Formats: sequence, C-alpha cells, structure tokens
Amino acid sequence: MFSFRYVLRETGQNLWRNILLAVATVVTVGVSLAMFGGFMLFQVAVDSATARWQDGVEFIVWMNTDAGTDEDSSVQNQLDESPGVERWEYVDREQSYEEFKEFFEDTPEVLEIFTAEGVPPYYRVVPIDPDPDVVEELGNQFKGKPGVRTVTFAGDVIRDVQNLSNRAGRVLFIGSIVLLGASTLLILNTLAVAISNRRAEIEIMRLVGATKWFIRVPFMLEGLVQGLLGALVAITSNALLRNYVIDQFSDADGLQLLAGFKVDDAAMLQVNLLVVAIAVGVAVIGSNLAVAMHLNE
Amino acid sequence: MIKMEKVTKVFKGDVVALRDVTIDIGKGEFVFLVGPSGSGKSTFIRLLNREDVPEHGRIFVAGRDIGGLSGWRVPYLRRNIGYVFQDFKLLQKKTVAENVAFALEVIGKGPQVINRQVPAILELVGLSRKMDRFPHELSGGEQQRVSIARAFINRPLILLADEPTGNLDPATSVGIMRLLERINEIGTTVVMATHDSSVVDSMRQRVVELDRGMVVRDQARGVYE
Repeated sequence: MFSFRYVLRETGQNLWRNILLAVATVVTVGVSLAMFGGFMLFQVAVDSATARWQDGVEFIVWMNTDAGTDEDSSVQNQLDESPGVERWEYVDREQSYEEFKEFFEDTPEVLEIFTAEGVPPYYRVVPIDPDPDVVEELGNQFKGKPGVRTVTFAGDVIRDVQNLSNRAGRVLFIGSIVLLGASTLLILNTLAVAISNRRAEIEIMRLVGATKWFIRVPFMLEGLVQGLLGALVAITSNALLRNYVIDQFSDADGLQLLAGFKVDDAAMLQVNLLVVAIAVGVAVIGSNLAVAMHLNE
Repeated sequence: MIKMEKVTKVFKGDVVALRDVTIDIGKGEFVFLVGPSGSGKSTFIRLLNREDVPEHGRIFVAGRDIGGLSGWRVPYLRRNIGYVFQDFKLLQKKTVAENVAFALEVIGKGPQVINRQVPAILELVGLSRKMDRFPHELSGGEQQRVSIARAFINRPLILLADEPTGNLDPATSVGIMRLLERINEIGTTVVMATHDSSVVDSMRQRVVELDRGMVVRDQARGVYE
C-alpha cells in the first residue's frame, strides 16, 4: 500500500535537496517547450492568415453573389478543360460565409453588415506550374467571364510569409526537439543525483521489504513535477506570445495581409495541451531511464 | 524455518563462496555462523535474504522455496526477515524514532501503527529516553540497538545479523547479545555471523563453522573453536 503523505514528503525533499539542479531542469524544459509552443502558435497564426492559400493554391476565382448555375458550370468546365490546372476546389456560399465569420470574428461591426447572401462563393485553383507569369496568364483567362467578379493571386507577399514561416518554423522545431532531448537527459541526471544522495536510504528500504514501486514513485514523481513546472513556464510564454506579439500583428494598421494572423482560444488550448503532453512524455522517459539505470532494486 | 539443500554460490572469476551446503535450522533456533574471513558467512546470510541467488541447490525459508520467488514477491519475503549490520546503517539525518519508524513507513504502515509500535520497540531495546536523538549523539552500542529495533519492529520470523558486535567493545557486545537472546526467546529464529569468540563461547548455542564455502562443523551448544 502506498502512503500518499510519504510519497509527497519524499518527492518534496528530493526536489529541495537538489534545488539548483531542479531549477535548471525546469528552466530547460520550460524553454524547450516554449520554443515548441511558439513554433506551434506561429504555424497556427500563419495558417489562419493564409488559410485560403494553403496546399499550393495560387489563384482564386471569385464569383458574383448572384451568379447562376449556368455561369458556375461554365467556369467549372473551363477549369476542368484547362491543361494548366492541376486541381480546383469549389467553396460554396455557406462555407465562404463561415470562413468570412472566422476571419472577422474580432470585428463584429463587419459581421453585422454582411449576411451569407452578401459573401461570394469562389474557386481555389492549384496550377501545375507555380511560376508567377504562368499563373497570372492562367488566372486572367477567367477575368471578365460571365458570373466572375474578380480573380486574386497568392502573390509574392503571401508566398514570402509562408516561406519565411516554414523556414523559421523548421528552425524552431529542430531547436525545440534538440532542447527537449537535452531536457530528458537533464531530468535523468537530476534524478541520478537524487538517487545517489539517497543510496543509504534506498538500501535500507530494499532490505526491510519496500516494494520496487514504493522506492521508485517518489523519484518518478520528482521528474513529473519538473516536467509540469516546465510546461507551466511554456504555457505562460505561450500566453505572452499570443497577447503581446501575435495579436499585435493582426491589430497593426494597414497590414491587411496580417488581418487573419491570430490564434483563437481553441487552437491555444490545443497547443497548451500538447505542451503538457510533451512535458509529461519527457518526464516519464527521463525518470524511467533514471530509475532503470541507477536504481537496482 | 530455514533449509538449504546442496547450495553452491559462485561469484565472478569462479570464486566459490559456498560449496554444496546443506543445513536445516528450526523455528526459534539461535545459530552462530563462524569461520575465517572469506569462508562464506556473509554469502550465507545474503542468500537467505534473496540479495543473491545460488547457482545450484535450493533454499527454503518458512517452507517456501525462495529461489523460484518472482522479483515482486521478494520484498514480502524480506518483511519476514530482520537484518542487523556490523556498521548499523542508520540514517544520520533521522532521529532514533524516525530511523525505526522508517522501516514501517516504507512498507506502507500508517501513522497509527507507527505511533503505537515505535515507542514499544524502543522500550524493548532500552532507548525510549533517547528517541529524539540523532545517531551521531549515541554510542556504538546504542546505535546497534537502534539497528536491532529497526530490524525487529516488523516482528520478523527470522533475524539475520552480520557481525553485529564487530564494531563494539566487549562490554557493549554483551548487552547486544542479551538483546538478541531476548528476541530469540520470543520465538524469532536468529542467525548470526561472527568472529567474536567470547560471544559464541558465552552463549553456548548451535555453531555452524564454514571454511572455504563448506560446512566443516555443525555443533549444538558449541563453542567458537
């Protein structure tokens, strides 16, 4: 039987005896998880800002809100028959309105003006050749057709934002993976020191008949506490990043491109849960390695 | 209570610590293990506690073959066996009472049991007035009493003692032996490895002599040599 009080007391004592090492571990876990969280949040924000331009979409054919079935069919036939089009996707009026609502959820005054009838349906088009000149020529073929309101192109800025985000994301991701590896090793080392400090106690525990798990649990809990405190650091960092960096982009005047650069509450919760799950994973791996390598019950 | 059948223990480098040992120790017996250093006394004790396993032969403790015991059952075996060390192995940052309570705490006993049993066992070993002292504030004999209290608090069936008087002066050793004798009289089987001839000669209990891993003498009411 486990004594809850005993386990908590021993875990607390272990942390306190190695307080400097424990702080170093928590900071490292926190920084690596904060990097990972930052990477995730920027991805979410960039995806949100460039939602219509994902997966190789290079231009969009916007229809008139009153376009009829014949006009839709004509555009669809031309897309099907055009040799330069790899694939296309039709976003009907309801879907388009849903996207519109998401895009302007922070500005209800805009939402009040528009209803589903006022939002146009559109075609997202993926060309075979993404060369800007070829794309422009292809897209222009749809301009002026009956029912077509306008054609918009991804343009250099969108692509630059996506490329920059992808590159920065990769660096952040690799950096955070390396740091998470280091965190695992640091948890392992902190626990190895804790085990070494308590070698005499562990020997007595073994000889008087303490079970393997009774000996292990305080150390494993110590690792878990370090991981979770690290996650707390990262969650705080995520909140600061969202409120003081990402939201500033979307609020910036004149940067219409970045109007959708934001992270909603659901995405934030997902990222934070992922951060906690990774913290638990790192702690469990680190502690298991430590007890397997240093605790010979 | 304890039975060894043709037990052989070989360490790395083909060092034979015990060779073909067969012995039967009944419930409530007091047995001295004697012999020169390296004769296999400590290995004998370690095998009984399942700290080591033999290469050949079988060992029974309380009727159970402990060689076939799965790892998770070993702690439950050890709860029936008290262990007293030559160097006491007390935790220096814990008081006398805490050292003794530790043995109950780590097998999951609650505060009620601990608060009842610890003062009683300290009374038995004559340390009830020093329960709040730390080990470094005690004499060697007193520290060994704490170690015995810790080994006996769980009322084990068997008490193993590896040179318990090895670090003590002769007068203090007498006190420790009286204590072990009292524990034996309660019905506990005591197996004690020792080099201390005066202790063995004064007690006149069963003596098992080991030499190079073999039992060379097994004498009821024996002497050291």
